[in-house]
Amino acid sequence: MSLRPVSTPREAAAFSWRLVRSHPRPLLLCSLAFVVAGLAGLVGPWQLGRIVDVVDTGGESSDVVRAAAWILGAAVVGGLATALSIALMARTAEPALAELRETVVERALGLEASEIEASGSGDLLSRIGDDVRLVTESFTEVVPILVTSAIAVVFTSAGLFALDWRLGLAGLGAVPFYVLGLRWYLPRSGPYYRREREANGARAEALLTGVHASRTLRGFGLADRHQEVTTEASWRSAQISIDVYRMLTRFYARNNRAELVGLLLILTTGWFLVRDDALTVGAVTAAALLFHRLFNPIGALIGLFDEAQSVGASLVRLVGLAQLPAPVPVHDPQRPEDARLVVHGLHHEYVEGRPAVDEVSLEVAPGRRVAVVGASGAGKTTLGAAIAGRLRPTRGTVSLGSVPLARVDGAGRPAVAIVSQEVHVFAGTLRDNLTLAAPDASDADLKSALTAVGAWASVQALPDGLGTPVGDGAVTLTPALAQQVALARVLLADPLVVVLDEATAEAGSAGARVLEQAALAVTTGRTAVTIAHRLTQAATADEVVVMDAGRVVERGTHDELVAAGGRYAELWAAWSALG
Amino acid sequence: MPVTPATPGGLVRRTISRQRRRLAGAVALLMVWQVCEAAVPVLIGVVIDRAVATSDAEQMVLWGVVLCVHFAVLSTAYRLGSRVGFRALQEESHALRTEVSALVLSPRGARTERLPGDVLSIATGDAEAVATVLRHLTFTVVGLVGLVVSAVVLATIDLLVATVVLVGVPLVLLTTQVLAPRLAHRAHVRQEAVGRANGLATDLVRGLRPLKGIGAERVAHRRYRAQSRDAMGASISAARWEGLLYGVTDGLGIAFLAAVALLAGQRALSGDLSIGELVAVVGLAQFVAEPMGMVAYLVAAIARSRASARRIVEVLGAAPLVHVGERSAVPGAGGLVLDAVTHGSLSDVSVDVPAGELVAVVAEEPADAAALMDLLRAESPPASGEVRLAGVPLTQLRIEELRRLLVVGEHHVDLFEGSLRSNVDPGEVVRDDRFAAVLAASAAEDLPDEPVTVNGTTLSGGQRQRLGLARALAADPPVLVLHDPTTAVDAVTEERIAERLDGVRRADGATLVLTSSPALLARADRVVHLVSGRVVAVGSHVELARDEAYRTAVLR
Repeated sequence: MSLRPVSTPREAAAFSWRLVRSHPRPLLLCSLAFVVAGLAGLVGPWQLGRIVDVVDTGGESSDVVRAAAWILGAAVVGGLATALSIALMARTAEPALAELRETVVERALGLEASEIEASGSGDLLSRIGDDVRLVTESFTEVVPILVTSAIAVVFTSAGLFALDWRLGLAGLGAVPFYVLGLRWYLPRSGPYYRREREANGARAEALLTGVHASRTLRGFGLADRHQEVTTEASWRSAQISIDVYRMLTRFYARNNRAELVGLLLILTTGWFLVRDDALTVGAVTAAALLFHRLFNPIGALIGLFDEAQSVGASLVRLVGLAQLPAPVPVHDPQRPEDARLVVHGLHHEYVEGRPAVDEVSLEVAPGRRVAVVGASGAGKTTLGAAIAGRLRPTRGTVSLGSVPLARVDGAGRPAVAIVSQEVHVFAGTLRDNLTLAAPDASDADLKSALTAVGAWASVQALPDGLGTPVGDGAVTLTPALAQQVALARVLLADPLVVVLDEATAEAGSAGARVLEQAALAVTTGRTAVTIAHRLTQAATADEVVVMDAGRVVERGTHDELVAAGGRYAELWAAWSALG
Repeated sequence: MPVTPATPGGLVRRTISRQRRRLAGAVALLMVWQVCEAAVPVLIGVVIDRAVATSDAEQMVLWGVVLCVHFAVLSTAYRLGSRVGFRALQEESHALRTEVSALVLSPRGARTERLPGDVLSIATGDAEAVATVLRHLTFTVVGLVGLVVSAVVLATIDLLVATVVLVGVPLVLLTTQVLAPRLAHRAHVRQEAVGRANGLATDLVRGLRPLKGIGAERVAHRRYRAQSRDAMGASISAARWEGLLYGVTDGLGIAFLAAVALLAGQRALSGDLSIGELVAVVGLAQFVAEPMGMVAYLVAAIARSRASARRIVEVLGAAPLVHVGERSAVPGAGGLVLDAVTHGSLSDVSVDVPAGELVAVVAEEPADAAALMDLLRAESPPASGEVRLAGVPLTQLRIEELRRLLVVGEHHVDLFEGSLRSNVDPGEVVRDDRFAAVLAASAAEDLPDEPVTVNGTTLSGGQRQRLGLARALAADPPVLVLHDPTTAVDAVTEERIAERLDGVRRADGATLVLTSSPALLARADRVVHLVSGRVVAVGSHVELARDEAYRTAVLR
């Protein structure tokens, strides 16, 4: 089971920085606003120290007024700068964030179908869902605090040194204790956060299964048990979070120790300096107040370390996806001579030594239709997937008009489209569902495609016709209509070759006939491979290929095969038997 | 089960009252912490006054020790208090999460109008956002206590300064209150936009295979991009208001400090305050900005929690999917009867499925099949006529009776992580020999006994369908409805299934199959042919097969 890639933290940082940097103006203004806010924050303790000195040395009342005026000015400037900095940060970060999540989704959409099947869609969904959400939310909750705190720490430390270098050094004396705390905490937290993430993944899976399969769960009395599973998964993730938090509070206690050490160092140093007349009481006061003012930003910085870590963990998962190579344009594209499909020596093993498709060769003349039949597990779907380019076969080739499939330049038309029995009605309007295949299609085009697949009447009967919201949570289409829509999409996409993999099965009997006609509309005049359980589809095909255990065991026209009295004839007899 | 709050405010209130004991514990402990925090600047003032200004070594050592003890109490109180609070938050998000899931999985289900991804984000993100109100509330109460203590200490030092503080604080709070509703609105818009973008992304990933089948990745991505840009715009506009709120709060806090500094400085100059008191006063006034901030952030936090609470309440308030009543089965009455039913595309449809019989329905139009299934799932009552199960209208039965009497084998088969056995016999009630018989009847005996993955993704359509059939047969209900149980299996297998079906149904079982499979139809006691929502023929397969329309419908 292959896990999808995760980037290194360095790569994630470089990637993010590249995105942020691409908006230099708001970035610059935002930094400026933060600097102003940081400087304004220093004015308070500095002027308070001056008031202490004024009082200590018996100064004028106007000195106190001047100091207060300074603080008031800092309030106005600081407030304005804070407001601007947060607004501007969103202007800088949000476009970068949008860019990131869009790239991630683009890469996810570019993943090969076989890759997704191999490791399940859970991981991918949790990246697209949870990770994107976490990172997005961090920009409204975590990042502003992180940045403002960092600015405060930097400016206040500078302020301490500006008062007296010895006080500055005393303040720095707290740093080793903060570092000790972090060194205690970080190695412990990593594994915990991994477990927390895994537990959250299991929780999401349980919740989603509950929503998707609720009918079945209820109908078979499984709902209670699944609710238990969900509750268990939910509580497990909560329990891990609680454990993590216990550890976190022990870490905070270590921060308190560092605060105490710093404060004691500054006061003691100040005591010596004042005794030796090297410094005023006011300066020591300002230093102590400055350092005290640092408690919160440092606490926030260090406390957010873990949130920053989990954002980081999400980020590396996102950047890991984003760094996958972009879908490359076809290498050395070539126009196929015609739409002749040739499958040569196709062989595929999911498990080594157990061929699903065993040395199959096949040729479909332009515009003709081949039907593939056989029992379940005969390798039909694997063959179809290989023809559609959704699966890289162990060996063998698929070419179209003498051009290898991957290099086909369809001049605006896709080379191959495949419709399987897996139907998904996309959330959006019915029009949205169709224009996925042809974004520029007019309503008239949509109407003619729907008419061709026999769905126009049903669509007109929907509450709002083409504009009806469909998909999960909106109007539910009948399975048959959903499949008709899928087939109409193929007409709109207009591929050179179409593969229909049991595309009429999911609709059930009620829609079968309608769907068979729809399938006919889609395959008419187009090179087509139809994988079918319904032998009526085989009976009308230009050629029938019978597969068994991965091999082609019979081929010929319907009539030839029936006359031959082999496997196909047996199937046909079972199928057409009356009573 | 407790009544679900109908309003966002109600939900938030319930969250608070549900966790009130932990909340009280956390508040009590954190109050100690906050008072200690408030006392830090006072202690700094004392050290400066008694030790630094006097250069008294003994005092320096003494107050150094006091500072150490003080920090030990402060740290411990915070550690314990915040743990209690965190536990409350986790328990509450867990409770809300399982409440959403319990509703979806409740016997009657829920008609939610949202995407599964959206429901997931409500059950996780929004549940947590609502529970977070506990943390903010704790810190608000604690902050207020810090404010009061600071005010009292200030009052003992200087009454005038204390008055300024007590007037200034509410002024600051009032100002932030004015901004809060606007922020709440923007926060809601942002959450909705982010939720929409997320919902779209998960929907696209779920439909990835069909999407790739027609090569529509690029178009899909363009759509996501539009939604993502929407979310970006909403976030930027919300951040503008957030920045304003923070800026105003910060600015007012410092302006307030300026006023206190002016006042206390003058008092100290005139000798009414010592230097230590001056430091303590300005230190406290500076500190006061912190609890004030806690209180101000509460407004924004509640706004955020309420926005999430609204989404949860919307889901929890969803109408039940399945219609039920209070009636029990009529003793002795068995089977399933559709009596002159009109619903959706169906009009005046009557079908009788007595105990012990297998009745097949051939529905040519998908809409008819869908309407029929809608009725049989009890998800809608018919517009006229009656659907009776064991003598009672389906939608008036008690839910337990409905479940006991009727199993609907859906056409779409949901599979679950586990084994073959756990999927077919989830209740673990089937004996081994019957299990084997059921597998054989579903032509599923040759399926590899490998672990089934989540949603059975490794199985083919035909394998899934056979497992679904086996599960329905294993349940062995008095009335069984099967919706196209054999569309994804080949003709030979279908024949085998049809042959063995009757053998595993209970003698008094009524079975209704929606199908057009000749193999199944041939074995039905009666076949009902539906065209355009009306019954056009009833009879055996052989009888009906004389009719040209029927032949083309089922024999093709």
